Amino acid sequence: MLAAVAALALWLAGNVRANARATNIPLSYDYLDQPAGFPIAGSSFRQTQSTWDAIVVGLGNTVRVSLAGIVLATIIGTFVGIGRLSANWLVSKAAQVYVELFRNIPLLVIIVFTYLAVFLRLPRVEDATTIDGLLVMSVRGVAVPWLRTDGRGLTVLALLVAAAVVAYAVARWRHGVADRTGQPAYAGVAATGAAVVVFAVGLVALGGPLDLTAPRLDDRRIAGGITMGIEYAALLSALVVYTASHIAEIVRGSIQAVPKGQTEAATALALSPGQRMRRVILPQALRVATPALGNQYLNLTKNSSLAVAISYFELTKITQVAIASRAPAVPSYGLLLLIYLVLSLVISAFTNAVNRRMALVER
Amino acid sequence: MTAVTWARANLFRDRRDAITTVVAGAVVGWVVFRLLRFAIVTGRWDVVRDNLSLFLVGRYPVDDQWRVVVALVAIAGVAGLVAGQIAGRRRRAAEAAGERLEHPGPAARIVEVVARDWPILGLVLLLLLLARTASPWLVALATIGAALLGRLVGALVPPAIGRAVFVLPVVLPIVLLPFLTGPLGWDSWGGLMLTLLLASISMIACFPLGMLLALGRRSSFPALRAVSVGVVEFFRGVPLVVLVLMSDVALGFFFPRDLLPGKVVRVMVAFTIFTAAYVAEIIRGGLQSVPRGQTEAAQAIGLSPVRVTGFIVLPQALRNVIPALVGQFISLFKDTTLVFIIGFLEVLTVADAVTKQPGYRGQGLITETLVFAALLFWVGSYTLSRESQRLERRLGVGHR
Amino acid sequence: MTEPTTGPAPFADATQVSGTGDVVIELEGVDKLFGDFQALRGIDLRIARQEVVVVIGPSGSGKSTLIRCINRLEKHDAGRIVVGGVELSDDIRSIQGVRRETGMVFQSFNLFPHLTVLDNITLAPRQVRRMPRAKAEAEAMELLERVQIPEQAHKHPGQLSGGQQQRVAIARALAMHPQVMLFDEPTSALDPEMINEVLDVMKELARDGMTMMVVTHEMGFAREVADRVVFMADGEIVEVGTPEHFFTAPTEERTKKFLSQIL
Repeated sequence: MLAAVAALALWLAGNVRANARATNIPLSYDYLDQPAGFPIAGSSFRQTQSTWDAIVVGLGNTVRVSLAGIVLATIIGTFVGIGRLSANWLVSKAAQVYVELFRNIPLLVIIVFTYLAVFLRLPRVEDATTIDGLLVMSVRGVAVPWLRTDGRGLTVLALLVAAAVVAYAVARWRHGVADRTGQPAYAGVAATGAAVVVFAVGLVALGGPLDLTAPRLDDRRIAGGITMGIEYAALLSALVVYTASHIAEIVRGSIQAVPKGQTEAATALALSPGQRMRRVILPQALRVATPALGNQYLNLTKNSSLAVAISYFELTKITQVAIASRAPAVPSYGLLLLIYLVLSLVISAFTNAVNRRMALVER
Repeated sequence: MTAVTWARANLFRDRRDAITTVVAGAVVGWVVFRLLRFAIVTGRWDVVRDNLSLFLVGRYPVDDQWRVVVALVAIAGVAGLVAGQIAGRRRRAAEAAGERLEHPGPAARIVEVVARDWPILGLVLLLLLLARTASPWLVALATIGAALLGRLVGALVPPAIGRAVFVLPVVLPIVLLPFLTGPLGWDSWGGLMLTLLLASISMIACFPLGMLLALGRRSSFPALRAVSVGVVEFFRGVPLVVLVLMSDVALGFFFPRDLLPGKVVRVMVAFTIFTAAYVAEIIRGGLQSVPRGQTEAAQAIGLSPVRVTGFIVLPQALRNVIPALVGQFISLFKDTTLVFIIGFLEVLTVADAVTKQPGYRGQGLITETLVFAALLFWVGSYTLSRESQRLERRLGVGHR
Repeated sequence: MTEPTTGPAPFADATQVSGTGDVVIELEGVDKLFGDFQALRGIDLRIARQEVVVVIGPSGSGKSTLIRCINRLEKHDAGRIVVGGVELSDDIRSIQGVRRETGMVFQSFNLFPHLTVLDNITLAPRQVRRMPRAKAEAEAMELLERVQIPEQAHKHPGQLSGGQQQRVAIARALAMHPQVMLFDEPTSALDPEMINEVLDVMKELARDGMTMMVVTHEMGFAREVADRVVFMADGEIVEVGTPEHFFTAPTEERTKKFLSQIL
């Protein structure tokens, strides 16, 4: 059988070479150094920059939308998953409908819908929907308040780090107090509070290097804040809505997978429902859920490639445009596949490492 | 339990619960109101109505649409036969074991089927109501009739001959394929029909490759193992959309010029290989789930390794993973929308294209068409999922 | 523990307690339904301080349901249940109060697999009784000594044998200093060679004066340690007696039938 596989591989390679020669398209990767010849909307990329630079921009966009998608989908999915188990019939049913609805509709349909039927329907810039100082929504994009530094960006960063260190120290201190006296630690609240205080004091002491700019409609421009392109917004919304429904099922399943006896033992020990969830159920549920969650994150990252349908310039779209601008197809796709493989491997390795660390210690 | 006590227990258990109910109720109520208003009042559904046949069969020539009808009836009949055969066997097994099976009356039966399959029944009804002519009603009646007849006959056929019935689902696609293709070639397919055909053919075609990869992964030759693992992990690590794009542009490079397969075949190759990698993993899980004792017992009675795998292990493994395989098919069914990107006339493309027709251009009717497309997929996917769960329960996966 | 007595049944019904302690658990007219199925019928039972009451009966007789109603793992549908002077009602505070004063040991141990043995035992005292960590851990080590497995303190439950796990479960329940210990078939899931190590711990506990209610099939334990034996069938209490009376001269037909099947 091995011989058959080898023969097949040789035949395919031979065909590729013959075809390449016939159509005069080189099979090398020289094209990466050539000027791209196409612009990338929504970025500062210029046509004269190399194709390789374009691909890097695409990779950056893929990572951007995937990371944001993973974070948002996990948050929303967890809430919906826990809501599905609520004793309140209305909440439980609503969660169920949400999950059953979006699990069964193809992602591409959702993406095309959010783009064409939702975000492209936003009003023109002149008539943008505004919430004073908070939101400016138009066909140009969604603008939200953003922070801007006056050049002392590094100092602000140092301040952030300092605040984080203080938060950690406060949390440790509160845990120590709790151990000694038995009173609840409230470490989270204390640490956050301390961090905020340190950061605020630092900002004032430095004379306010940080500025919150709110988006304003200024004639036909949007001044201030930061604007999210509608392609990005549409893709992100669709990815989040779809993946969250899968994550909700995983969360629900993992909580239900924790044996009933665990809840009973925790109840018999007079732990409150909150203590039960936090100390007994969720830690065990998380262990069950990790592989499945990792799989969903992998899927979300791969699904970001569906952006080709709506002109968001992530990796796949840029490759497609490059090929249309005369880059050779086979090497381009080869490179694309390679990059996705690497991304997959990275996410898988990360998931496996987390899984191993959390595995229940057994005989 | 009266309505009040039910509400007390489920919606208003304590003060926090009551507040939750009120807030959730307001949000849900608003959403439901807007949806209903869209569906019944403000939505302009004539764009869907006028293009119903485009959605369902694409540009399949009108003169040849009888082929679709015949195919539908044939599929319904075979499905009925298989269902009847399974039901008949269960009944005979139960009678032999001395159990008493309930025989619900026809009225109860109808209620049961409606409660179970309301999405697909509702969709068929909706489609019939949207259609303008009477012929769809006749088609529907013929299909239902074929299914019922098949069910009756299947239950009556004794198991000895009945074995042949199970061959039909495999033979039928092979026969229907050239029949539906007709004289126009594969480019004549479109709409929901294209979606179903792409999914079905890819699912069936991926089996040999999937099984080879699964078995290769367990082989004792390290080279074979490495190749199998490599292929499987490669195709599971890349997005399907890239493979689809490649099938359009780059796949041609892998074939000699005069042997270049058509666009439909190329995209089917992409789907097939992709699904084969996932099916390989599913089958591998199935092989692992067969207890070692089975292999050992088979070897002990002197079967050769090939026979051990082929006759003892593989059949059990496949039976165990039927639900997972159905799940993969459902994913494939939804993934076929990706051919929208390379210009095939499948459901999503139709939804987009009809809004650009002369009478409907520029009126933002994309919402209506997309909702309809989403509905088609939702009903298909939901129904398949439900049936798969029922199948899982019936098979008692993990028992026996 | 009482001296052997002879003659007619010393307990006319289950509300008569042995010994002189005050009543810790009182059930009056308790019913429990699961849908149409009546699991408990008119249960009247009193348990006094330092008494060891063993409940036996065929499966489906309601023994587990009864013991689970006492700490509100199941909700009773009629009658009163009073534990340590607190009546069980829908008020969550009364329920939590009762749960603090009762310790339960389960058939399937139900140890928390993601925590060490020490953390399993100290979790509730630290969270519920607000005990400082050092004190909780010191007491936990004492309890582990008492159940004879102090060296396992830093292992995880998955690394222990069944018998060791159940002993940890007993220590975990004792860590809350309960007034009553409830045992729901504690040895039914153990391999035969490990049953004795657990029973020995329970006998020690009884000797030290703990109030105990034990649902079990271990007749030897009942004979040796019980102050009263309660026989249940079909959801009601059929007969009550001292172990001697019970095993040598039961009065009810159903009791005789059951005993003949298992002895």
